[in-house]
Parts: sequence; structure tokens; C-alpha cells
Amino acid sequence: MKKTFSNRYIFIYSAVLVVVAALILTVVAVSLKPAQEKNQQAETKQMILKTIGIDATRDNAAELYAQNIQEADLKGEPYFTFKGGVIIPLRGTGLWGPIWGYLAFDDGGTVVGAVFDHKGETPGLGGEISTDKFAQRFVGKEMCEEPIRLKKNADKDNPYEVDAISGGTMTSNGVTAMLATAYEKYSDVIPCHEDCEAISALMMEEEEQ
Amino acid sequence: MKNTDLIKLPFSKNNPILVQVLGVCSCLAVTAQLKPAVVMAVSVTVVVALSNLIISLMRNTIPPRIRIIVQLVVVSTLVVLVDQVLKAYMYDVSKQLSVFVGLIITNCIVMGRLEAFAMVQKPWPSLLDGLGNGLGYSVILIVLGFVRELFGSGTLWGYPVVEKLGLYNIGYENNGLMIMPPMALILVGLIIWWHRSRNKDLVEQ
Repeated sequence: MKKTFSNRYIFIYSAVLVVVAALILTVVAVSLKPAQEKNQQAETKQMILKTIGIDATRDNAAELYAQNIQEADLKGEPYFTFKGGVIIPLRGTGLWGPIWGYLAFDDGGTVVGAVFDHKGETPGLGGEISTDKFAQRFVGKEMCEEPIRLKKNADKDNPYEVDAISGGTMTSNGVTAMLATAYEKYSDVIPCHEDCEAISALMMEEEEQ
Repeated sequence: MKNTDLIKLPFSKNNPILVQVLGVCSCLAVTAQLKPAVVMAVSVTVVVALSNLIISLMRNTIPPRIRIIVQLVVVSTLVVLVDQVLKAYMYDVSKQLSVFVGLIITNCIVMGRLEAFAMVQKPWPSLLDGLGNGLGYSVILIVLGFVRELFGSGTLWGYPVVEKLGLYNIGYENNGLMIMPPMALILVGLIIWWHRSRNKDLVEQ
């Protein structure tokens, strides 16, 4: 025999169910929040340290960060400096959600390290931007005159081109747009090799005199 | 049905992907590499088993007219709960998993098993049914992840197998089609073909 339920029962049942579910989730979310935030902050510091070749664990990230990184800002936009260069933050959108990263330049304007991450790009396709293999493609490039672009079959010798991800075109376009935005914002602090050449030329002249 | 069949059948004649044709969407989306495939397989198995158990315990109190909503509330609560705990204590795993959360809630296998089994069966068989179907799904995901990563990217679990074997030096190239979702569909089709040719009674007239 099939049981019948009154409308009253259905309303009360669904109200109680939703309140119970909401209570459980609220309690869990509030009680776990400190641990989650600690993880996120440590991760940001780990990412920044990684661009200058320091592999920090989640535990010693805060300490190494304090030793190696100075925070700075350019007209209200935060960036970072380390001994021998600057690190700029990147913020943008991929295919499914936010993507972000950090790009470290040495004083000569050459990229010494990069790191990218994403909220929800497709694993194995766009999600590949968070791998070391992808980040490694940026090393040796520069953003002196224009932003770095992601391209299919990029020219390895062109300092402004990086190989895009096969199967991750939309995410790759997102990375390109993110780099362009960062270039606009931070072009004043991104070091440039031409400046270096100009400075060294000046120094040479001084020496000759 | 015997309890052992509840675990065994999803591997052969009642496989969720091959026979029930459920959960195909996520199986195309996450199998470009082995690691996300395994993480997805484990998460879905846990969620199917637990939600089957909980819905089975509640089954006599659920008004049929709002049963789908009740099932969804239970499934999504469970998934969000697991995600929150992972974010706090297993941050790295959670980063792999977070992208799949939405996919698990909408995974047809979860809803399918709740509707077809847990709503009318006792808790213990329901738990076994959930485990069995989760594992049956896992097997296909892992096979697909293995084949697609090996031939598409030349790696396994991120380890460069093909490069180490030196096959690139003798002119071998990765198959780019393998990492695209259509190839997963073709592979599933091939597996279903092989599966039906071995189990003739599954072939529709």
C-alpha cells in the first residue's frame, strides 16, 4: 500500500530537512574556517616563493616569505620585490572561473619564474596551467615592450611568445588577457633589459671619462 | 538479489556506465589524465555509498512528491561537507577535488541509484549497492584515464613513461585526439562494444 502524505507534513518535512542541512553545513563551515584560511594564506606565500625558486612547505612558508619577500605597491596595486628583482601578481578569468598567478623578473627584465593556478579549469586541459611544466615555458621570456602572449606553435626564440595548451584554448586566451592586464598595470615596475643596457652604457661612458 | 551480487554485478552485467549508461558526462570530462580520474572515482564512490545509506534510512518518511528534492539536499549536503573537511585538513587533495564537486552532485549515478534502489531497499543492501556502483564506475574511469593519458600525453600519473622509454627519438608522437573529450566517447563506445559481444544477453533486439 502506498502511503499518502498531507501537504502539512510535506511542508514541515522539507522545512526541517533544509534547516538541519543548513545547520550542519554552517557549523562545519564556521569551525573549519580558520584552518582553511591558514591553508590559503600559506599557499599564496608558497606560490610567491616558488617564482624565485624557493620550494617552501606549508609549514615554513610564512617564515621564508618574511625573510625573502618585501611587499610594495604601485598606485595602490600590490606587487612584491625580492633581492634582485620584482614579482607581479596576475589576476584574470579562465574558461570556468578565476585564474591567477605570479611572475618574477630579475633586474634585467628576464622572467626567472612563474606560477599559475586556477579555481575550476578542466583537469588535464586548461587545468594544466597550474603545472610546473607550463610555468617553465615562461622562464627566459620578457615583458619589456609588450605583454607575453600564449600562441599555438609559439616561436621559442621570441621573448614575447609562449606555447599555449593544446585542448585548453579558452584558458590559454584567459592567460593571455591576464598578462595584458598585468602589463598595463605594472609596466612601470617591470624591469627592462634596455634600461640595463642604457645604464651600463652610461657607466661605461663615466669610466672612460 | 544476494548481497554479494550487489557488489559484483556493477562490474559486469549492470555496470553503471556500460549498461545503465549513467555518469557518462563526468567520465568524458575528467579522464584526460589518470590522477583526476582516480580522485573523481574515489569521491563518487564515497558519495554514492553514503547517500544511498542515508536515503535508505529516511526512505519511509520521504513524501514521494518531493523525493527528488530531498535526495538532492542530502547529496549536496554530503558533497559540500566532504569538500569543507578536505579543504581544512587535506588541502592538496581538495584542490584536485573542488572542481568535481558540482559534477558529483549532478552525477546521474548518484540520483539513479537513489531512485532505483535506496528508496525501496534496506540500509545495508543500499550501502553495498552504492559501493558496487561506485566501484563499477571507478573501473571504467581508471581504464579511460590510463589509456588517454598514456597515448595522449605520453605520461602516467604525471610520470613521463614514453620519454623514458625513448620512443620520441624513434619518431613516436602523442595522439592529440586522445586528450579531447570526443576520444573518451569513442573509447567508451569501444568498451561497450567489447562488453556486449561478451554478454550477448545485453544486446537489444
